[in-house]
Amino acid sequence: MPRLVIDDLEIEVPKGTKVIDAAERLGIMIPRFCYHEALGAVGACRMCAVKFIEGPLKGVQMSCMIDAQDGMVVSTTDQEAVDFRKRVIEWLMINHPHDCPVCDEGGQCLLQDETVSSGHGRRRYPGRKRTYRNQYLGPFIAHEMNRCIHCYRCSRYYQEFSGYRDLGPLQIGNRVYFGRFKEGRLESPFSGNLVDICPTGVYTDIPARFKVRRWDLQRAPSVCINCPLGCNTIGNSHYRAVMRVEARMNPYVNGYFLCDEGRFGFSYTNGGADHAQRPWNSRISGADVTVEAALAESASKIAEISAIYGPGAVVALGSTRNSLETQSMLSRLCRRKGWQGPVWFNDPAIYRKVRSGVERLDSGIAVSMREIEFADFVIVAGADLLNEAPMAAMAIRQASRKNATIIVVDPRPISLPFEFRHIPAAPAQIERCLGSLVKGSISKDELKGFDSSAKGFCKALPAKFEEKESGISISELSGQLMSAKRPVIVCGTGIVCESTPAFAADCAQLLRESGKKAGLFYILPGASSFSSALLSGPETKTFSEILPQIEEGLIKALIATESDPFWDFPDRERLDRALSMLDLLVVIDYLPTETVKRATVFHPSSTVFEMNSTFVNQEGRVQHAERVHVGGVPIWGAHPPRIIRNFVPGGDHQPAWELLWKISAETSMLESVLTLGELIAAEIPVFEAVGHSKYPITEGRIIPENSEGSFVKPKASPAKGQTAKGFNLLLTDTIFASREPSAYADTLASVFPEATLFMHSGDANGAGLSEGDMVSVELELGAIQLKLSVSQRMARGFLFLPRQRGIHWQKMKEFSAWIAPERIRKI
Amino acid sequence: MAQIKSVLRDLLDDVLGLADSYAVTLKHLFRKPITEQYPEYKRLFAERTRGRIILTRDPHGEERCVACYLCSAVCPTDCISIEGAERKDGRRYPLWFRINFARCIYCGLCEEACPTLAIQLTPDFEFSKYGVLDFIYEKEDLLVDHQGKNAEYDYYRHAGVSVEGDKGEHINEKPPVDVKSNLP
Ligand code: SF4
Ligand code: SF4
Ligand code: SF4
Ligand code: SF4
Ligand code: FES
Repeated sequence: MPRLVIDDLEIEVPKGTKVIDAAERLGIMIPRFCYHEALGAVGACRMCAVKFIEGPLKGVQMSCMIDAQDGMVVSTTDQEAVDFRKRVIEWLMINHPHDCPVCDEGGQCLLQDETVSSGHGRRRYPGRKRTYRNQYLGPFIAHEMNRCIHCYRCSRYYQEFSGYRDLGPLQIGNRVYFGRFKEGRLESPFSGNLVDICPTGVYTDIPARFKVRRWDLQRAPSVCINCPLGCNTIGNSHYRAVMRVEARMNPYVNGYFLCDEGRFGFSYTNGGADHAQRPWNSRISGADVTVEAALAESASKIAEISAIYGPGAVVALGSTRNSLETQSMLSRLCRRKGWQGPVWFNDPAIYRKVRSGVERLDSGIAVSMREIEFADFVIVAGADLLNEAPMAAMAIRQASRKNATIIVVDPRPISLPFEFRHIPAAPAQIERCLGSLVKGSISKDELKGFDSSAKGFCKALPAKFEEKESGISISELSGQLMSAKRPVIVCGTGIVCESTPAFAADCAQLLRESGKKAGLFYILPGASSFSSALLSGPETKTFSEILPQIEEGLIKALIATESDPFWDFPDRERLDRALSMLDLLVVIDYLPTETVKRATVFHPSSTVFEMNSTFVNQEGRVQHAERVHVGGVPIWGAHPPRIIRNFVPGGDHQPAWELLWKISAETSMLESVLTLGELIAAEIPVFEAVGHSKYPITEGRIIPENSEGSFVKPKASPAKGQTAKGFNLLLTDTIFASREPSAYADTLASVFPEATLFMHSGDANGAGLSEGDMVSVELELGAIQLKLSVSQRMARGFLFLPRQRGIHWQKMKEFSAWIAPERIRKI
Repeated sequence: MAQIKSVLRDLLDDVLGLADSYAVTLKHLFRKPITEQYPEYKRLFAERTRGRIILTRDPHGEERCVACYLCSAVCPTDCISIEGAERKDGRRYPLWFRINFARCIYCGLCEEACPTLAIQLTPDFEFSKYGVLDFIYEKEDLLVDHQGKNAEYDYYRHAGVSVEGDKGEHINEKPPVDVKSNLP
């Protein structure tokens, strides 16, 4: 480990550390533009000059290009280096426009900071400035190329880091231009990071365009709840509106970046651009009432129904976007009051998959996104990462850049920003494929060393998997897997069979036993699926299983806490009928859902930006989101009124757990359970270990050291090929449009993908359909119209329908459907 | 002896001191008075006097303010509130602009910070009100239809954004780079 001296301070750093990073560890921030930890060093901007006084190197050098070495004595304040940096700034400013007042980067601009701190204040150069024309880059990012200082961060991020090719440098010399060959929306769903990464105002975000300066923002660390990964964010608010969401560096989760859904999908909390889309007020039968009146109404009605029909006639619905606090409260209330529930999921199959996965995660096998970046072999089984958990794709991209082999076993037409082998196996074939791949990688010697259960499992794995269409040889891949040291299995929980999550865990376990540092990474359906699974038991029901009881009149009251069965229940009419039979529908929510519209009593709850809350991501990592602002109807868009008020319009919302506690009329609750930390620990035993007095819980994973899960002998998968003619229609996720709460953000509405049905091109040919046709699909309970997209890279005999907001697909009896060929027509 | 001398000298000094001030008073008795009979007579103030604030327009008659938030940031009493917005032609402007004159201390820092010369203090100080809400001036009340102290300055002619004039047409600009040509 080299030891060096920087500005009279001595430090020892790992080999390969750049001098600029060594200085940062000492708290000395050497000015920089092009260097970025995630992007590496290129030495393009010359801003990080320091003077090397002693050691192997002498003179003014770029600190980002030089590895720290023993005996170096470095000065960042040496006059020669200071002068050098000052001249660099002056020449960078030669072409810089006089834009700060109208530039949204102003106030958070690295170029501004470094210009001011270098002391360059007056322009000496009388010549003319270079100019560029801008491009339209889509609805998220504004482009103003004159401000560029040619640090190449954007193109390095966009092309090398995130793997998209449509933005990059054009031209040569003094005329280098960063943009697209043709203007148009950026293809990358990670484009928003350009705003963070560019040290100047070339890329600025459009949702907050011209609206605010950094110094006026209320900022707090927050967490993205749009998908299970729980990327770390910073919420920024002003005038009671969240203005923007930025990435917050977390080395284990999202690194420095976010996906565009997480970054731009926040406007639901403001009620959209017109602020009218969020239900701000408490309501009884649709009429606005005071908070107290609504709470009293809910409490008395629930008590009444419990008294007449018994507490079992009351059901509490939670969801996978509830905070951990809310989930714990729901669980506690159900137990203490005798209500049925809490119910977390609609679809029993999804629920069982989530549970079987969560049970198998332990700290030996679970990997973080950071660890995925260092994997050398990644198998993605039944997950469409860009659409289900975008940043996971970004993590795998980093592994791919380090030459990892990536295999995706999924029936959908997957696209990912890196090279991968796609085996479009049908869901029922995924286990076969995965099993034979793993089996082939286990050598005879390794097999001998296994204990009997591992041996039994391994032997029962299918030896062969035929994949004719993709032309991929599993045995060749097995050979590569055999030599891998850090393989990771990423397993979805959406379209896969119920046994697959556990099977994937067994495979990962087997790889571990064969001496590899194998990892397992699940993609779960929602931000807090993990904790809902922890709070469930074998008796926990899903909404589909509860529904018949409502229809039979056994259930009289429903308390839907940030839960909207209409979102993904397949039979909308049946659901509508059932809900109308209820005596009482209490809804607690912040989104304008279908369920909210039908509420007997409605209580507005706080969004993640308006309260302190905890979320557990899909690898069991506990993360805390701080309150960014108080919230309320934003002041944006029109003149604020000239009146003096002593209340905040729209400020009635409360955290859902608090509302629940109030309507439960459990006055003794906070006497027996003093703090939120204790509440959580009382409901979820693993938090005992974390220490319940430690609230907020801000870090750590709550997974056991060793899970009890053991090898389950794989069932023989069903024979390939369908007998009846027709298609298996499965519902899938799609980025931007299919997840609560981001799908309610009007900032994303313009990028909702077009309603598209995916079909294999062979199947389409057979049916006389082709790419781009508008088709009508007759589901069991009605027809939907959408565009057809055909692909060769998907499983035959399947149709994939995105569960997207705005497509009224809820005309099915079950969570999947069988579609006879004559029920798809071209229109 | 020396003691008596010094006492006498002190005494003389005191008497002279008194006489001096009486002399000044006496002299002023016969001078022309400088008191202005305000409000009957209204004295002209220097242009730089710091009184009621206005928002000026550029030489084309467009609002100068670009809602950059610098005045509201520098204001020591936090009495300026703004909401920036984008006009159809890309111009950045304040959707609303509010100054609470009940709080303003007429320090002039806002004027100093303003990069577009939009916000200016004027010599007008006479605007007492009965109600505090009446001191809250909106953009309609602040915006004037002249250029204030500087008739020429037009920020957008110097900036790089193409609001007034295309790229390359502003002061001191080269024509835009043609990214699709390799000719020098
Ligand atoms: S656009 Fe921004 S990030 Fe890209 S080279 Fe220019 S200054 Fe750097
Ligand atoms: S949606 Fe998912 S991947 Fe995107 S920022 Fe949020 S948590 Fe991260
Ligand atoms: S004069 Fe001073 S106190 Fe008044 S608005 Fe300007 S900066 Fe604020
Ligand atoms: S400083 Fe000038 S341009 Fe900026 S917001 Fe204030 S008045 Fe407008
Ligand atoms: S940061 Fe070192 S040259 Fe740019």
